[in-house]
Amino acid sequence: MYDLVIIGGGPAGVAAGVYAARKKMKSLLITDSFGGQSLNSAGIENWIGTKNISGYDLARALEEHLRAQADIEVVDGDFVSRVEKKDAGFSVTTKNGKKFDAKYVLVASGSRRKRLGVPGEADFEGKGVVFCTTCDAPLFGGKTVAVVGGGNSALEGVMDLIQYASKIYLMVRSESLRGDPVTQEKIKSHPNVEILWNTEITQVRGGKFVTGVNYKNTKTGENKDLALDGVFVEIGLIPNSDFVKDLAKTDAYGEIIVDHKTQESSMPGIWAAGDVADVLYKQNNISVGDAVKAVLNIYDKIKKS
Amino acid sequence: MIYSTPSCVYCKMAKEFFAKNNVQYDEFNVASDMKAREEMVEKSQQLGVPVIDIDGNIIIGFDQKTLEDLLGLKK
Repeated sequence: MYDLVIIGGGPAGVAAGVYAARKKMKSLLITDSFGGQSLNSAGIENWIGTKNISGYDLARALEEHLRAQADIEVVDGDFVSRVEKKDAGFSVTTKNGKKFDAKYVLVASGSRRKRLGVPGEADFEGKGVVFCTTCDAPLFGGKTVAVVGGGNSALEGVMDLIQYASKIYLMVRSESLRGDPVTQEKIKSHPNVEILWNTEITQVRGGKFVTGVNYKNTKTGENKDLALDGVFVEIGLIPNSDFVKDLAKTDAYGEIIVDHKTQESSMPGIWAAGDVADVLYKQNNISVGDAVKAVLNIYDKIKKS
Repeated sequence: MIYSTPSCVYCKMAKEFFAKNNVQYDEFNVASDMKAREEMVEKSQQLGVPVIDIDGNIIIGFDQKTLEDLLGLKK
């Protein structure tokens, strides 16, 4: 039985792994891949200690730091599908059918992309509906596309596409953008970008590939359509908390509710850190600190028991 | 063979996976190679990278488990 199973390989999971190993806790880290959600980012400029690092390089650095620890086991290329309460601790099951017993569990599984949830979206995924802008932007050279969303990921998506697409519509549900003002200005002043305010896509249309969307103006109620070659969905995140939902309390968004002093959840023995927890700000740097806090608290528990 | 774009991290991960396991491959940059792009769309019926073709088995995205199974690699 492990003292601690850490679920996730983003900044939170890796920070927890490093601290747990250095505390000589018998620990295991399970992750699909390393780096977390920043993996796709072309450049991260607020990761403290580096002026600019790509998401890919950050992921590599995190993985190397973790694997440099002598006292940690790693299962990668797999992810946790279920956590169950046992008499003494928990049983953790992965998608590939592996089972591990743990006294304590730290959930650092982050979050995943939210989908539009409209007809046509699933049918055209990969056929013009794109969830990895950095990956697929170069395939839309000279095309007309829309980016959906108003936050930083949507703005970065527009910046990725500016180099390739001939026309970019930014479809925003409200009347303002939430992303960084510096990027906002770049986008607003670019001749190929047009912002469509108060818009909500109601359907993605196409034949073999996307040919356009139907959308509603949320202010006037007017229905319109727009001819497009690509739809880039950047509308936010859903926490990966499904596998502990029956054990630990979650809020309306599905985020695990934690005691912010210790990161422990409502279920004794389960901690959460990073974007899967109900932290106010979703940031790599914060995820790291919160995960460290959790491990130190778990270590205190082990010492006392 | 792998169809990729230079900015795609999953393509990089797939290529590293091949390198680690001594798997030889051809790479086509579909951001600039239009013929390869058409070929990729034809094979995968979609427009997203990476697309990996192992003896006619088409894999969309970097799916390590499927690659291991197809290449007969054991972890």
